Amino acid sequence: MKTRFKIYKTIGLIGLFIVAFTSCTDDLNITPNDDQTTLSEDLFKDEAAYKQVLAGVYANLALTGTDGAGNSNLKNIDAGTSQFGRVLLYVQTLSADQMIWSYENDPGTREIQRNLWTAQNPLLLGMFSRAHLSIALANNFLRETTDEKLDARDVSASVRGEMPAYRAEARLMRAMAYYYMMDIFGKANFADEATPINSQPDVYERAELFSFIESELLAIDADLINAKQNEYGRADKAVAYMVLAKMYLNAQVYIGTDRNADCLSYCEKIIAGGYALATNYLHNFMADNNTNSAINEIIFPIISDGFTTQNFGPTTVMINGSVGSIEVNGAEVGVGDGGWGGALRVRKQFVELFDGSFADDTRNTIISEGRPIDINDISDKDSGYIIQKYSNATSTGGFGVDQTFVDTDFPLFRLADVYLMYAEAHLRGGGGDLTTAVGYVNALRTRANNPNTITSGDLTLDFILDERSRELHWEAHRRQDLIRYNKFTGGNYNWAWKGNGSNGISLPAHFNVYPIPTASMAANPNLTQNTGY
Amino acid sequence: MKTTINSLLFFLFIVPTLMFGQNTLTGTVTEQSTSIPLPGVNVVIKDTTTGTSTDFDGNYQIDVNNGDVIVFSYIGYQSLEMTYTGQAKLDVQLTEDTSQLDEIVIIGYGSTTKKDATGSVEAITSEDFTKGNIVTPENLLSGRVAGVSVTTSGAPGSGSQIKIRGGSSINASNDPLIIIDGLPIDNSSVKGSRGVLASINPNDIDSFSVLKDASATAIYGSRASNGVIIIVTKKGKSTFSATYDTQYSFGELTDRVDVFSGNAYRQLVASQPVNGTTIDESLLGAANTNWQDEIFRNTVSSQHNLSMQGSLFKVLPARFSFGVTNQEGAVLTSEFERRNLSLALNPKFFNDHLKVNLNANLSFEDNRFGDSGQIGAALRYDPTQPIYDSSSPFDGFYQHRNGNIISNGTTNPVASLLQTNNLGDSNRTYGNLNFDYKFHFFPELRAVLNLGYDETEAKEIQSTSFNVPTNSTVKGNALRRFEKRTNKLLDGYLTYNKAFDNVRTEIMAGYSYQEFTFSGNDTGNLRDPLSFANTYADPNVVLIGFFGRANLTFLDKYLLTLTYRRDGTSRFSKENQWGDFPAAALAWNISDEDFLKDSKTISSLKLRAGYGITGQQAVNEKDIFLNRYRGGNVNSQYQFNNTVIQSLIASEINPDLKWEETATIEFGVDYGLIEERISGSLNFFQKNSTDLLFTASVADGTNFSNSIIQNIGELQIQGIEFSVNADVVKQDDFTVDFNFNATLLDREIKELALGQDVRTGGISGGTGNNIQILREGFSPNSFSVFKQLYDNAGNPVEGAFVDLNGDNVINDDDRYLKENPGADVILGFQSNINYKNFDLSFNLRANLGNYVYNNVNSSRAQYELLQDNAVLGNVPKSVLDTGFQRTSDVIISDIYVEDASFLKMDNITLGYTFNNISKHLKSLRLWGGVQNVFTITNYSGLDPEVSVGADQGIDNVIYPRSRTILAGANFKF
Repeated sequence: MKTRFKIYKTIGLIGLFIVAFTSCTDDLNITPNDDQTTLSEDLFKDEAAYKQVLAGVYANLALTGTDGAGNSNLKNIDAGTSQFGRVLLYVQTLSADQMIWSYENDPGTREIQRNLWTAQNPLLLGMFSRAHLSIALANNFLRETTDEKLDARDVSASVRGEMPAYRAEARLMRAMAYYYMMDIFGKANFADEATPINSQPDVYERAELFSFIESELLAIDADLINAKQNEYGRADKAVAYMVLAKMYLNAQVYIGTDRNADCLSYCEKIIAGGYALATNYLHNFMADNNTNSAINEIIFPIISDGFTTQNFGPTTVMINGSVGSIEVNGAEVGVGDGGWGGALRVRKQFVELFDGSFADDTRNTIISEGRPIDINDISDKDSGYIIQKYSNATSTGGFGVDQTFVDTDFPLFRLADVYLMYAEAHLRGGGGDLTTAVGYVNALRTRANNPNTITSGDLTLDFILDERSRELHWEAHRRQDLIRYNKFTGGNYNWAWKGNGSNGISLPAHFNVYPIPTASMAANPNLTQNTGY
Repeated sequence: MKTTINSLLFFLFIVPTLMFGQNTLTGTVTEQSTSIPLPGVNVVIKDTTTGTSTDFDGNYQIDVNNGDVIVFSYIGYQSLEMTYTGQAKLDVQLTEDTSQLDEIVIIGYGSTTKKDATGSVEAITSEDFTKGNIVTPENLLSGRVAGVSVTTSGAPGSGSQIKIRGGSSINASNDPLIIIDGLPIDNSSVKGSRGVLASINPNDIDSFSVLKDASATAIYGSRASNGVIIIVTKKGKSTFSATYDTQYSFGELTDRVDVFSGNAYRQLVASQPVNGTTIDESLLGAANTNWQDEIFRNTVSSQHNLSMQGSLFKVLPARFSFGVTNQEGAVLTSEFERRNLSLALNPKFFNDHLKVNLNANLSFEDNRFGDSGQIGAALRYDPTQPIYDSSSPFDGFYQHRNGNIISNGTTNPVASLLQTNNLGDSNRTYGNLNFDYKFHFFPELRAVLNLGYDETEAKEIQSTSFNVPTNSTVKGNALRRFEKRTNKLLDGYLTYNKAFDNVRTEIMAGYSYQEFTFSGNDTGNLRDPLSFANTYADPNVVLIGFFGRANLTFLDKYLLTLTYRRDGTSRFSKENQWGDFPAAALAWNISDEDFLKDSKTISSLKLRAGYGITGQQAVNEKDIFLNRYRGGNVNSQYQFNNTVIQSLIASEINPDLKWEETATIEFGVDYGLIEERISGSLNFFQKNSTDLLFTASVADGTNFSNSIIQNIGELQIQGIEFSVNADVVKQDDFTVDFNFNATLLDREIKELALGQDVRTGGISGGTGNNIQILREGFSPNSFSVFKQLYDNAGNPVEGAFVDLNGDNVINDDDRYLKENPGADVILGFQSNINYKNFDLSFNLRANLGNYVYNNVNSSRAQYELLQDNAVLGNVPKSVLDTGFQRTSDVIISDIYVEDASFLKMDNITLGYTFNNISKHLKSLRLWGGVQNVFTITNYSGLDPEVSVGADQGIDNVIYPRSRTILAGANFKF
């Protein structure tokens, strides 16, 4: 009896444990509980998800993460600063002759605007990583929308009907990211939809990138929606043509080959797409530029909305940042009175492009009263002129919904740029017609209420470079333009604070591309540092 | 019910024994010195399994045969053996076992004695607790144990950073595992509460066991790398006693950051010290306001604790306690109140074969959070302006304004505090139910089942005045938040104990299941039409373990412990979720060898050696191994055709994530001299953490982030710990004892992901600046700074740094590593002196070789900051020493990295005890003391001890610690 009692008890206890073990080890396989997070295996049960995932590919240009403007899916860079348009503005505009950032204790800004950058610069890491994230997200979309997967999920005909355009757009976003990498860093990690997660991919140099981007953009042409026919915010054929036109215009820099004729023909294709200049130059930079006359001019925007699409992107930064320390003029542009206390100003050489004949030109938004033109001390926010190009006000007198996060979309590509590219490609021997080129330049001037139109004799390459600055300043084009004109490095053209001299000094030639960020290089041993760094 | 149990017992035990026709022996067991009856004494016939235990009056009854040897044993008393020679009645007296060596030490899933312990385990009982102003339980350990550092913030009821041996991780958790009565608690808190330990009443704690080396901790496997602190709460007893403790404290801040007074500020501005800029003197006011004096206050706090122990219905040992703690914060409006109810029931059944322990605790925490960010505003706010302005539309507070438009710049800190009412209301229920069953007829085998539950629900209500200074159309903030955390535990184990001729064995095997959940929601700002409600939830964390331990003792001298744990975590994928954590330890009680046995000097001496592997999985990421998409929240959507579409973005993923492992090797000596009047330990250890869970870069374009948590890198920690406890004077009415402990620590990063540096230590001043770095071959978080240049007079030259790499450009490549925030040496000292009825105790604590980056000076003490956007702002007076103009020129200078070594007296208390006051009041102790008595340091900032939270070693306006005068009374009934 004694023994049996013991055995029963023991067996009972052990039995209890065994039941507990087997039922509970499965609990280790958890699933997310948060309502914002979905497992991929569940996601595509809802066919609406395909378009939402495509929206995610686009959103990577506007958002830094999924949980507000201060949230980022990238690390080792300030979350808000990791926005695509923001870092693009830093590398293309802040590094050149148009812009000064007053708060040099914001990491990386000092080195960018004084041309002192190193491979540790967090803004360069932000640029490199953000563009590559676009590549990863596009690859992911392509992996999830193969015919095989769509068949397996038994996707309806209507969604499948949309799929060629969706996939072409994802490939376009990927090609565009590679285009920026080719321009800014001269190389990129080459990952396509076949590249495994967390692998160490091959590296493409400029020539390989050039031919990849070109072949991709040509290949997707048929699947892309015609210019101006797609939903606002999505890319169409004209966006692909724009990337091609820009590549061809800069082909001499990228691959040492003249492709100006190709540039010109793609400019013509874009113009033939039905675009028209906004009735007012400033409409392009206002809170309602997604609905006012600018919708005929903007070819591709980076979306911003004070409520639904908040970001510390280029428009929020430029509108808050260009509020003057003396003027305290934030209310005029629909943000807090003081804005960011005078974060942004312009350099002297930019101001000098607007001589007396541009006094009434609407592109001239310079505010100079009570300010010295020179910036001898960058942290002195009262020195140097400011501009008022971007605004969170609408064309009808209203304002954006929020006083920090603006409604103003960033015009990444717009028709005025195409006009000037046409003229330049023509001058560089790309064919076309001189009268047409002069006509395009004068169309911009007329639109800007500037009666001083030009004649064909005025149309020189140097004129175009200056006119591009007048028309396209603070739109993230300047560094590329100066490099094409061989004025970025070397001593041909020195602007204030170039090379860390208050009057500008020569830069070594290797500054024509940026260094590969240390962290990116460490994570992929196939990446090598650019010469000179 | 009782009748049934008795009948059952009768049948089970009495009937069978009657069959053998034995004699019945009765008697009473009493305590020798007091003659108080001892309940629960084990009365066993030697070499059999027959036995009983005494009842509550110390009586026992047992059936014996002539010649049987009866063994009387009771924890804490010396066992007694008596031979039955036909006595009718056998009364015995047990004497208390005063030898510390038999002191019970709680270890994981069981206990041992100090003599038998093979690992580095330190037991701290209530007599040894650190005294003074103890609001949260970890402060009982402060400075008390070698290798354990407790850093507490100045905020009321706030949590502390506890580190055992410096922590073994870099990115993963460095918090030790804290176990309350067998329930491992979650180290994450909820909003609305001050911290996980803030809701626990220190008065309910009976003892701590601190497990430091792997051989002791490995039984907790995956969570043991940072050491384990086991908290045992007070239990019910069969004899009645009651205590009432009350304490009042009066706090005062003794120090301020030295900024300019109103008059000095007016002079300074008039001197126009900012190069290239003219400050608008018309902005100056006429007042003299010391804003720090205005936002800080003297505080009054109190604690009341009532506890009762005794037997309910004469059969159910129980303890009940009620505590109320009220603490005012030094910053205006901040307040902490806690009410604790605690119940312990400790019945025993079936002649003590089944022991049941129930601990149930309720804790109600009511907080008002005073924004400590206003301390920074107080340093900054223009001292020439008044606090109040009767014409102000902002509730009558002065604000820099132009009519009703607020000027850009810092706002009035007094207004910010008084116009805000942020309340946190946190209710916690925790406890466990423990069954400890010693098998009938097989007493060598014990089964223990433990069920634990811990739930915290917190409500947070934020609201501000509608007249807060803002130009926005949204006037202030109103938000409600709710959060809930739960922690469920089931564990059980079997222990087999058997003594053979020369060998004692104890074998234990068990299973543990624990699940943690977290969820919450908030309303967003109810006054902002653009704000939105949000709900959130973490993935559950499930931890499952199988564990076992074998203790073998040969000849009472040679001890061997083997442990093994197999742990599963829900944080990793199916392929990686299980990890194995073995450990072994050897100990040799040399003092039991013949050649030392008779030594008068050496009363005990034990050599220990241990090796073990522990794991780490406590990273923030709970589901990173899964293929996930995350939808944007209301503010993070995209638009197609001007219509909002919720974008879905693939989340970062690492399917290969696995355990971080820490291998610890340790050698130790435990010594006791002159009849244990002097005792202590000396330990040498080395910990190597490999496969560090580390957030590091991934190749761009191959993941959905540029940096994800991975298993890369290696950290090595080497250390020496020494402790000595000494009874210097031990006379009847005069005793002096002290404890001294010293820890030498060296942490070094052996390997990082692909050899790359990682920047850490975000500082204020600019967006996203980092001052620290992780680099191979250096301590974690070493300061990465520029080397300051000085002129001939020895004054620093603004913006001039040494071009360390000689490329004629000062850029990031010229930063070098200067020191680190970790202390090289940590010392603790405490002493208790008793003379007649007086008692005096104090403690001292020192850290040597710890460095701090003075972010207060680096981001504030520059002349350009006299201009605060559109208004004027104050700056620290240290600007006069440096003459620095601009923050951005100097913020990375090594001039701000300072030696912050310190010696602190945390507290001193003096008490007097009145004994036998009346029949009911057994004693009354009155005491008084001082908390934060003094600090000796060369550090120029407010307090050298800044390491609270993640920003280790960065002094960025800490919540200051008050000096507190304490007075209290303890009543014993």
